[in-house]
Amino acid sequence: MSEKKEMRDLVEKLTKKQEEIRELIKAEIEWEPVGPTPMPEVADLRNWDMRLLKTYKPWYAPFCDLCCLCTYGKCDLTQDRRGACGIDIGTQQARIVLLACLMGCSAHAAHAGHILEYLIDRYGPDKKIDLGTFIEVEAPNIRTVTGLKPETLGDLKNAIEYVYKEITHLLDSTHFGQEGSALDYESKALHASMLDHVGMEVADIAQIVGFNYPTSVADTPLVEMGWGSIDKSKPVILVVGHNPATSTVVIDYLRENGLEDKIEVCGICCTALETTRYSDKAKIVGPLSRQLFFVRTGIADVIMTDEQCINTNMPEEASKVGSALIATLDKAMYGLEDATEMDTDEIIKRMTENKEHFAILEPAKAAEVAAKVAMKIAPQRKKELLSEEEAKKLAEKCTDCGICERACPNLFSIGDGITEMAKGNFEPMKELFNLCIGCGKCERECPQGVPIFRLMQVAASKETWKVRAGRGAVMDTEIRKVGAPITLGTIPGIVAFVGCSNWPDIRDIAEMVDEFARRKYIVVLTGCSAMVAGIWKDKEGRTVYEKYPPDFDAGGVVNIGSCVSNAHISGAAIKIANIFASLPLRANYEVIADYVLNRVGACGVAWGAMSQKAASIGTGFNRLGVPVILGPHSSKYRRLYLSRKEEDDWTVMDARKRELVDTGEPSPEHLAYVAETKEKAMIMIPKLCIRKNDTPQGRSIKLNHYISLYKKYMGGGLPEDLHLYIRRAADIPLVYRKEVMPYLEKIGWKPKEPVGLPTLIGTYPSKVSIDSVIH
Amino acid sequence: MATIPLHRVNVLTGIKGATILEDPGQFTKQIAKAKRPLLVLGPRLLEWSLDGKIVLEYALDIAKAANIPICATSHLKGKLTELGVTPDSVYDVVEIVNALKDPDWKGVKGEGNHDLVIFFGIRSDLQNQCLSVLKHFAFGHLKTMTLDKYYFPHADFSLNNIRKDKDWKAFLEDLTKSLQTKS
Ligand code: SF4
Ligand code: SF4
Ligand code: SF4
Repeated sequence: MSEKKEMRDLVEKLTKKQEEIRELIKAEIEWEPVGPTPMPEVADLRNWDMRLLKTYKPWYAPFCDLCCLCTYGKCDLTQDRRGACGIDIGTQQARIVLLACLMGCSAHAAHAGHILEYLIDRYGPDKKIDLGTFIEVEAPNIRTVTGLKPETLGDLKNAIEYVYKEITHLLDSTHFGQEGSALDYESKALHASMLDHVGMEVADIAQIVGFNYPTSVADTPLVEMGWGSIDKSKPVILVVGHNPATSTVVIDYLRENGLEDKIEVCGICCTALETTRYSDKAKIVGPLSRQLFFVRTGIADVIMTDEQCINTNMPEEASKVGSALIATLDKAMYGLEDATEMDTDEIIKRMTENKEHFAILEPAKAAEVAAKVAMKIAPQRKKELLSEEEAKKLAEKCTDCGICERACPNLFSIGDGITEMAKGNFEPMKELFNLCIGCGKCERECPQGVPIFRLMQVAASKETWKVRAGRGAVMDTEIRKVGAPITLGTIPGIVAFVGCSNWPDIRDIAEMVDEFARRKYIVVLTGCSAMVAGIWKDKEGRTVYEKYPPDFDAGGVVNIGSCVSNAHISGAAIKIANIFASLPLRANYEVIADYVLNRVGACGVAWGAMSQKAASIGTGFNRLGVPVILGPHSSKYRRLYLSRKEEDDWTVMDARKRELVDTGEPSPEHLAYVAETKEKAMIMIPKLCIRKNDTPQGRSIKLNHYISLYKKYMGGGLPEDLHLYIRRAADIPLVYRKEVMPYLEKIGWKPKEPVGLPTLIGTYPSKVSIDSVIH
Repeated sequence: MATIPLHRVNVLTGIKGATILEDPGQFTKQIAKAKRPLLVLGPRLLEWSLDGKIVLEYALDIAKAANIPICATSHLKGKLTELGVTPDSVYDVVEIVNALKDPDWKGVKGEGNHDLVIFFGIRSDLQNQCLSVLKHFAFGHLKTMTLDKYYFPHADFSLNNIRKDKDWKAFLEDLTKSLQTKS
């Protein structure tokens, strides 16, 4: 074939591919012009990634020095060694990070796919997406990434199929002998994680539409939380996991059969949040860290598992305490017999008489079985919990050997609480229970067989708390109101507490939420963090959900929802660029991410991040330009994105003047950062909300919080890097002027001009023009 | 059998583990060899105490005895100020480690990067991860050491797991004495 013909074929092929994409995103509907990257493929946003990675370089902390991914291994990758395939230790870390992000992304994408399939089956593909009067920009992530404006459930399918396709390509790159650059693996991880936000958005839009969850409303109901809130005199169904397809059907079944007040439905982890979006009668037991604890109380007559973050030993755990188990999704079937086609009465008989567990993949059937089995076996449930007297006796078995401390991933000694319990002192155990992340390793390792989780029953507070039900997307009207103050800096920032329950102390989240809501930041929450924000009451007995308004506005505390609702947080940042700054979203990711990075003072706090989903959620925020603070456990994710403020180049383009400006201002300073203590996190949050776009008034408000929190936790003085964030004297908060001015003089600080319209576009090779960032 | 760290999350999956030093004299020898040592102190030093004295004070005695500059991580600076000590630098642990990785970094004194870093008082999983960063990416220009009462496999030099607090206290005091004698 001649070279010319080859070229012609290639051009034709490309055009064909582009045509296919245009068809998928319905390009003919001209709601906005199609931007430069519709349904971007692996390398399409690579330049943006490389620009981010130039400032925020990957920091690798290998958690394992070896690689055992193929039969050439194990390969020792220590220091400058390479594996048989040629890979080095840094690239290997990046490969593992990509794998983690892909696991996270695929968990949400498969969740989305399953929900969509279920709802399309129920309502058809033409069911309209309507998120209520106040939400017109229904799918900011999908619009920005793919270029599609989804109008029906069927349109969502196009979006999720795009995600599936990309996952395949990305996963392929982790095979033996593929990618050889750590930075390229990072770019791929950023891609996977951006896709995760698309997948999450598909899932939650589908859920809101299909299950009639609250939308376009701020003051959703306050629901009860805490194991003490569960009425143990009734049959109890516990739902665990993330996918509400079955739990909502359980509620329907109870409603239709007049059983809603006769059977308790409670949940752990995100399914709990999802179920309370559907019924305010459902209760939240608590975050993932309370899973084993609660299951081992035996209070649940029936446990229904769906997907993600469920103890994989659930059938055995259920059997030990006489609970019945139904696995409702094909993701986790635990080797159980698939009873989807079995006669309902037969299943109930075998579950109640033979104590068998089953997988039932048809929600309506699973719901009916759960209700009937719960009613049958509840009367036989052993209702008494451990008494203090019994606990003291059991605790006496402890020999204070210290093995539980060695096993504990939160690095504390539950044994100290147990030895005190044996003496009749229950207080230390109550305190230690707050540090427990519920992994169960201690009890498994204990040579004396001390039933540590049962002993926790006497330590766990029976108190009940209130959590506001998740409300889904932030309303366009709210964005319109806060857009200006956020980008000018007069609302000092949006702080998003997200992610799992692997935190140093369960009380940390509520304390941080209270601190920042009081300071008039906008506080948004999802997942396990949203639950535990409620585990604290002020002097008047109010949780943060009762103390602060539920509005997306200064000083509001907003429960957005479950893990998949995280897409509404990235979505809110995107909507600021669109609704407030009028930037087009359609297939325009690079411009929007640049806007968010330089102008939206938002910061994520994934204090208890643990799962692979948390890895992709966080990394997705990073690609969009939102920095994330992680708790100390997260150094085990192996990779952070850190800058070095004194050494790095902080040049941006001033889009108005079209000139490069060396700002010397490290804002935001890091993209993925681990803080060792909550005190340090509290100092970093205001700093990571600083943006180059801040007006002098906005900057002085932000610095006021930075300085005051620094003083509070560092025992006085001024932040070491304060001068880097002061452009002119007007940036200095009035109350600190007397202290700051002499300090600046002493170190030879010189004023500099704030940048009119800061952007990274123009500082690196990109198809995007500087014009496109001007609105 | 290789030594198992006290906290099992820090078990080494690899080949190159720390050399265990038992005797304060061996630590002193390594510290004396270094041209520009640095002591990175963490917030656990506020929580631990030995004989009614917080471990931070033992750490400060060591710093003073050998005139080692201090980097205060997390919110440790507050207590240091209260004790009348101004740290030579304030960074969080991941940040100081990030700087230490760079052979051309100017160091906390502006005199060039350090050639020995002593970690003390950071929660053990994070400390071991930070040591891993330096083991893999800074081995050409710097050695690492720990003074906590646990074995840290990713360090170059570490104590063994110490069961009794009185032994740890004796070690820290003897190290101070040994460093004083040396200088
Ligand atoms: S994938 Fe590479 S480094 Fe890993 S075991 Fe195989 S050859 Fe070794
Ligand atoms: S492992 Fe068991 S016996 Fe040993 S201290 Fe812990 S609870 Fe006690
Ligand atoms: S269950 Fe709690 S106390 Fe036990 S090892 Fe896990 S975190 Fe530690």
